[in-house]
Amino acid sequence: MKMHARVNGSPFVAEVPATSSLLEVLRGAGLTGTKEGCRIGVCGVCTVLVDNRPVSSCLYLAGCADGADIWTVEGMAEHAPSVVDAFVECEGMQCGICTPGQIVAVASMGPDVRDERDVRHYLSGNLCRCTGYGTIVEAALDAQARRRDEVAPA
Amino acid sequence: MTESSGDAAFLVPGTVEAAVEALGAAGAVALAGGTSIGLMVGQGLLAPSVLVWLGRIPELSVLEEEDGGMSIGATTTLAALAAHPRVRATVPALADAAASVGNTRVRAVATIGGAVGHADPRQDLPPALLALDARVEVAGRRGRRRLAIDELIDGFMSTVLDPDEVITAVRVPLVVGRRSCYLRYTPGSADDYPTVAAAATADVADGVPTAVRLAIGGAGPAAYLVPEAEELRGVPEGRWASATAEVAESAARRADPVDDRLGSAAYKRRMVAVWARRVLERCLGAEGALP
Ligand SMILES: Cc1cc2nc3c(=O)[nH]c(=O)nc-3n(C[C@H](O)[C@H](O)[C@H](O)COP(=O)(O)OP(=O)(O)OC[C@H]3O[C@@H](n4cnc5c(N)ncnc54)[C@H](O)[C@@H]3O)c2cc1C
Ligand code: FES
Ligand code: FES
Repeated sequence: MKMHARVNGSPFVAEVPATSSLLEVLRGAGLTGTKEGCRIGVCGVCTVLVDNRPVSSCLYLAGCADGADIWTVEGMAEHAPSVVDAFVECEGMQCGICTPGQIVAVASMGPDVRDERDVRHYLSGNLCRCTGYGTIVEAALDAQARRRDEVAPA
Repeated sequence: MTESSGDAAFLVPGTVEAAVEALGAAGAVALAGGTSIGLMVGQGLLAPSVLVWLGRIPELSVLEEEDGGMSIGATTTLAALAAHPRVRATVPALADAAASVGNTRVRAVATIGGAVGHADPRQDLPPALLALDARVEVAGRRGRRRLAIDELIDGFMSTVLDPDEVITAVRVPLVVGRRSCYLRYTPGSADDYPTVAAAATADVADGVPTAVRLAIGGAGPAAYLVPEAEELRGVPEGRWASATAEVAESAARRADPVDDRLGSAAYKRRMVAVWARRVLERCLGAEGALP
């Protein structure tokens, strides 16, 4: 099939089997910021946004991505700059493998995710084997606070 | 990275009728959120020749209250269900079951249709919907019909649906005064499938139960009802502890679990008794009944 979409704000066209995963399609197009881990929807390193929803791109079929608005970690500085800033300032990473997924997942949080408990529940499917999660949770809380301030400046 | 081989026809019908028509083709498979199908295709367990995506059919995404019930369109996502204020207020067992499924990314796209159509005995929604006495609405070439959850799911990963039948909605009765509760037990990670799951509903008048339903998941080829829960009818509060313990033992006797990584069969059977008693106690003692 010919898949037409927008990826990180730009038109995107790829000739791919409808049953290929969005992960294969993106990485095949050179967008290798999105990582491949478990391939069974558990680890979260492949998280991307499809029409503003966080999905496991390893499970998401290209056919369902046709016509969609897709954002990957490569677009986060533009799509969710406060999230990127929060991860940098809180040092929400060590080796960095899980980081693209963590940043995209945090970028998908709604305003209902407010306290540490909410954040830990929301991110429970984004595994990290380095940080012990402390600085990631801190970065997520910081990002949520920044975005609240952007909506309603003090 | 492995490349997908072969290509499937990918159809995107705009109406239920067109979906039914498309599913009439040999080898066609209905696709909703794709969390299970994407996994099976990726693992090489499923190689459909035709995928019929239900994600662009407006009729299937409607969630509305109608007299005496809530009609939940089949492509309503689990995230939307879990966050819906009326679902949370009226049928908390369903909101809690939806909020428990997998992880954020699964809930963001997985649908209520897939949550019952997949018929995996470890899934969270079937026991909750069974306790809530929900009906699954189905459309196919032979017309429309309504099925209870335990009529729809007739065994391990098996439903009675014809290949061309589409689940269009799940209808949950709303009864004034009815309480509902869902509990799942995962000794491993919170994202795991439940080792056992228990759901209950109770109608309580003047402190005495007038109707009680209990359903169990994870402990057999499909979620099952425990008819002995009806014995709690008319039992005064002072005897709830012993009466719920008896019902919980019946629930364990009805279990037919298998050994797997979520626990041994014997362990699951014991856990059914524990979590059945807890869900009944929680439900009977619940503060928030449906106003
Ligand atoms: C990482 C991970 C963790 C998970 N954890 C849990 C968990 O903890 N608890 C749990 O309950 N589940 C869990 N699941 C499974 C998940 O519930 C199901 O994958 C999901 O609910 C299915 O919904 P879907 O819309 O994605 O279905 P799809 O994958 O699109 O379809 C699943 C099946 O249902 C059929 N189907 C779907 N919609 C319809 C319809 N409208 N009419 C007829 N047939 C239909 C399809 O043909 C297919 O056979 C997990 C899945 C993953 C990937
Ligand atoms: S690679 Fe997709 S969730 Fe692990
Ligand atoms: S920073 Fe290494 S896995 Fe998270």
